[in-house]
Amino acid sequence: MEKGGVIVPESVLKKQKRSEEWALVKKQEIESAKKKKTEQRKLIYNKAKQYSKEYEQQETELIQLKREARLKGGFYVNPEPKLLFLIRIRGINAMHPQTKKILQLLRLRQIFNGVFLKVNKATLNMLHRVEPYVTYGYPNLKSVKELIYKRGYGKVNKQRIALTDNSIIEQVLGKHGIICMEDLVHEIMTVGPHFKEANNFIWPFQLKAPLGGLKKKRNHYVEGGDAGNREDYINELIRRMN
Amino acid sequence: MCLGGCIFAPTKIWRRWHKVVNVTQKRHAVVSAIAASAVPSLVLARGQRIKEVPELSLVVSDSAEAIEKTNVAIKTLKQIGAYPDAQKAKDNVAIRPGKSKMWNHRYVSRKGPLIVYGTEGAKLVKAFRNIPGVELAPGGHLGRFIVWTKSAFKKLDEVYGTFDKPSKKKKGYVLPRAKMVNADLARIINSDEVRSVVKPIKKEIKKAPLKKNPLKNLNVMLKLNPYAKAARRMALLAEARRVKAKQEKLDKKRKQITK
Repeated sequence: MEKGGVIVPESVLKKQKRSEEWALVKKQEIESAKKKKTEQRKLIYNKAKQYSKEYEQQETELIQLKREARLKGGFYVNPEPKLLFLIRIRGINAMHPQTKKILQLLRLRQIFNGVFLKVNKATLNMLHRVEPYVTYGYPNLKSVKELIYKRGYGKVNKQRIALTDNSIIEQVLGKHGIICMEDLVHEIMTVGPHFKEANNFIWPFQLKAPLGGLKKKRNHYVEGGDAGNREDYINELIRRMN
Repeated sequence: MCLGGCIFAPTKIWRRWHKVVNVTQKRHAVVSAIAASAVPSLVLARGQRIKEVPELSLVVSDSAEAIEKTNVAIKTLKQIGAYPDAQKAKDNVAIRPGKSKMWNHRYVSRKGPLIVYGTEGAKLVKAFRNIPGVELAPGGHLGRFIVWTKSAFKKLDEVYGTFDKPSKKKKGYVLPRAKMVNADLARIINSDEVRSVVKPIKKEIKKAPLKKNPLKNLNVMLKLNPYAKAARRMALLAEARRVKAKQEKLDKKRKQITK
């Protein structure tokens, strides 16, 4: 089998050549990736700085406007909140099929699951139907930040992947200009143009049962219970459940 | 006490003894068997003693067809190395275990080489007949050790056709096409054609990192938000400033009172 004797070394040579080429390509790739990464970091830094300025500005503006109004003897009405945070309070047994469906649509399939929600007529009507099963309110910046940083998981390829790196966010939401955690927080907080995609990317939060307990699940918040709209006091609940 | 009744499921003579097999299937079977006889591993697996045989598609010149006497036949077998196989058959005559003994299947023996001859009416039929185990062209396991005469080998082509030409002898029968034309997988994978197009092996399989809480772990926080360090520093400084300012304010107020 003389032919066999010739072929083997030749194929070894070819393999060597191929491995070299691959190694070269890989090295180039790593270098360019590194460069890109440092650029990105700078970009993210600046963005985060800009956002934090923005948030502070918003707060101080609000306070200013209120003071002005009080000075003039009038009132400054807060703009209606655009963002809600929903938490499912009740379990899954014995539910009317239509409310069950609505909770599914809201991605609240488990007790103590939480989601962000944009406020509009459609969602408000949905909320009205499921009020006895959820509690909701207007989250503040600290709530949004802590939820996303501590319990944020993203939907990557239909899988629930932990947000351990900005590249995960960039991979999915890069095309909407959201490339890091701060971008994500900003989009949610200010209900930006890509709120839908950003919110859908975030897997529903799996919160722990509230430390200190709930008052009374069966009643509405207004009656001394827990269900329904509790406006700003949702933040206090989030602190206990995060 | 004798109970009445009859035997359960008596064996009937109208049992379907003869089964119909499609002609094409039958032909495929024979063709596969012949192909298998050329593969040493299959023949060995069947238990034939072929260690001394020079080559596996064992073809012998047509003069073998002229053999008339049995002892000449045995000599030729020895010369071509087929004898050990025939000997094995001779040695292994045994009484069959089980009840078939009673029904005329008393002796069992192994099968030796199969002699396939070309022209009809060759004398070798009679010569080889008496050697135990030697048989002239049955079913069972693939990989019978076959001794071909030259003309028989040549006739194969005619009888069964090749992959391209339909057979001359059997109407419209084309050899069954193999599923894989080149069945040597290792060779294919290592071949140049495949290797040059294949992507490099992914050696680093990324494992999902354990999620650490960025609110507690500063390094992880920095990974996600590089501004966090500056923000935290500023917050600390601002806090320190505030505390100091408050202290000063209080001091001023309190000093006045003590005065």
